[in-house]
Amino acid sequence: MLNSTQVPVTVLTGFLGAGKTTLLNRILTERHGKKYAVIVNEFGEEGIDNDLVVDADEEVFEMNNGCICCTVRGDLIRILSGLMKRADQLDAIIVETTGLADPAPVAQTFFVDQDVADRTKLDAIVTVADAVHLEGQLGEHHEAEEQVAFADVVLLNKTDLIEGHSLGLIENRIRKINPYAKIIKTAHCAAPLDEIVGLNAFSLERVLEVEPDFLESDHDHDHDDDITSVSYVSDTPLDLDKFQTWFGEILQTKGQDILRSKGILDFDGQDDRYVFQGVHMLMDGSPMGPWPAGKKRNSRVVFIGRGVENMGLKEGFESCRAF
Amino acid sequence: MSGTINKTELERRAINYDFAAPVTSTASIAETIVVGFGDGSVRFFQAGHEPRLIQAHEGVVLCMAVNQSYIFTGGDDGKFLRISLSGDVEEIANFGSRWVDCVAATSEAYACSSDRATHVWSGKGSKASVLEHNSTVGGLSFDSKGKRLAVAHYGGVTVWEPNERRWKSKKLIWKGFHSSVTFSPDDKYIITIMQENALHGWRIRDKADLAMAGYPAKIKSFDWVGETPYLATSGADAAICWPFDRKDGPLGRAPVCVADGEKQLSTYVCSLSQENAVFAGFKNGEVLLAEIDESKDSIVLKNATNREITAISLTKSLSHILIGDEGGHVLWAALWAGALNDQFI
Repeated sequence: MLNSTQVPVTVLTGFLGAGKTTLLNRILTERHGKKYAVIVNEFGEEGIDNDLVVDADEEVFEMNNGCICCTVRGDLIRILSGLMKRADQLDAIIVETTGLADPAPVAQTFFVDQDVADRTKLDAIVTVADAVHLEGQLGEHHEAEEQVAFADVVLLNKTDLIEGHSLGLIENRIRKINPYAKIIKTAHCAAPLDEIVGLNAFSLERVLEVEPDFLESDHDHDHDDDITSVSYVSDTPLDLDKFQTWFGEILQTKGQDILRSKGILDFDGQDDRYVFQGVHMLMDGSPMGPWPAGKKRNSRVVFIGRGVENMGLKEGFESCRAF
Repeated sequence: MSGTINKTELERRAINYDFAAPVTSTASIAETIVVGFGDGSVRFFQAGHEPRLIQAHEGVVLCMAVNQSYIFTGGDDGKFLRISLSGDVEEIANFGSRWVDCVAATSEAYACSSDRATHVWSGKGSKASVLEHNSTVGGLSFDSKGKRLAVAHYGGVTVWEPNERRWKSKKLIWKGFHSSVTFSPDDKYIITIMQENALHGWRIRDKADLAMAGYPAKIKSFDWVGETPYLATSGADAAICWPFDRKDGPLGRAPVCVADGEKQLSTYVCSLSQENAVFAGFKNGEVLLAEIDESKDSIVLKNATNREITAISLTKSLSHILIGDEGGHVLWAALWAGALNDQFI
């Protein structure tokens, strides 16, 4: 390999009007001393013109590999491969997706295509949300829920147009869908770029750093198909074989409805922590070094998705206990 | 031919260049080998001359095709260019921020694709016919007569044929995305490289499917070899060569695997048809030459450098070979030991 470093790719999603273009213009024009390429969608807002802007159609291809939910962004494979042939090295690539697009095929592209995986890496999914309109959009479009559910960062924009109490409510709403996402509150997308680009959110190390609220949550749901999250903790070590069998089966049978999954696991007889994270049916996991001294060993998992509270995940997880 | 070439000899008699930008494409016209680079430049290599630099594109040279007199290139600057052997660059079309992903050419016609549309220039008119497809075009290829044009895309291939003043089309369907496409030398088969680690083919006469799967990696390169002919492909730890002789071609037959890379993945193949042999370039920069037979012998022409081979090309007289890699390194050498040393005057 020529480049041992993989170029980080940030997926920028959010509804039309939320402020994606404002953010992209900042990324392209601010004097940050970095070279960013931006892949924009043809249905996006006007006003971005730059040599490093690439127009793309969002072409979702089904892989002919027998996996029904395995869809990838064909245009991204083509464009990322092309960008990797440039003589100059890019610091990062930002992919804009339309508000109505499901972010899953974008994320899956980085797991499925070997060339893309060799040269680039999915850095983070950043969702720009309009603080004024998010509540309404969540009620009307399931895509809005999915975008929040997938996000590593929610850039809650236009907070200057909303009063404090309402802001608190909308933050709670985001938390309920996705306890893992970092919420950055801004007006005019004025957040520091280093909080948006180069986060390494898909690295397994990051799973260890971000501590969500592992609440024994008492969810109240209006609909079964709502996107929400569940998290479970076990102080009893897990059995490796039992867990692998159960988890593999869950991803295979429920993977279409599980948008993101993350966990830190304590396996019986293993010195190292085992960390995993997944997008739909695709999962990446490995041992990540010994447990820190003085820290309590336990296993924690989070599932974000559609109807996750009715999948029997709690019982399944508990059945993986070693004793 | 064993013994006439060995690694030390080819490397010893070679001239090595470092052009810093990745080698993206190559083709040869008569005794000139043309190379495209990731910084938009195109270079001509001829025996006895320093490489000639043509500043063609502003971004990456994404694709290249040649006929007897011209080089056609497409770039990520949205330009479709025609370059003469004397180095004159002519802009045929400019698609702005849309890339020109694929090009194809014959003596009578030339074509390029940008997004979902294929633009074909044929006959005397300077106006292009625009052929629309349902997805981005992955590959273009004319048949040997330069008449039919195969366009690969998501879901299969569309074969276009000029009919009076219009183009009529025929669809060959197979689920998944198809990129590079080629007609067999007898024009009886069409073969594509798929996004999955597989080749797909159709016998045009009856649209019979040929699924050639089982590759451990994506196939990036193929080339027709010899009289049989074989379709040699990269994408495994060897050059995988499918036989296209007999009535049914490779249907129900196993490919011949030559040029064993010992667990390295092959990334580029180039035919040495006269010897029924294939050059195989590998991800680690190694290049092997092997005859397509059961002997499994191969000759190491170039040692590993840890830079993926992205181009291998021969002059038409087979006097010289050019090998390019992802790091922008080019090796240029007389192919045969005993040939005159390539000295500049």
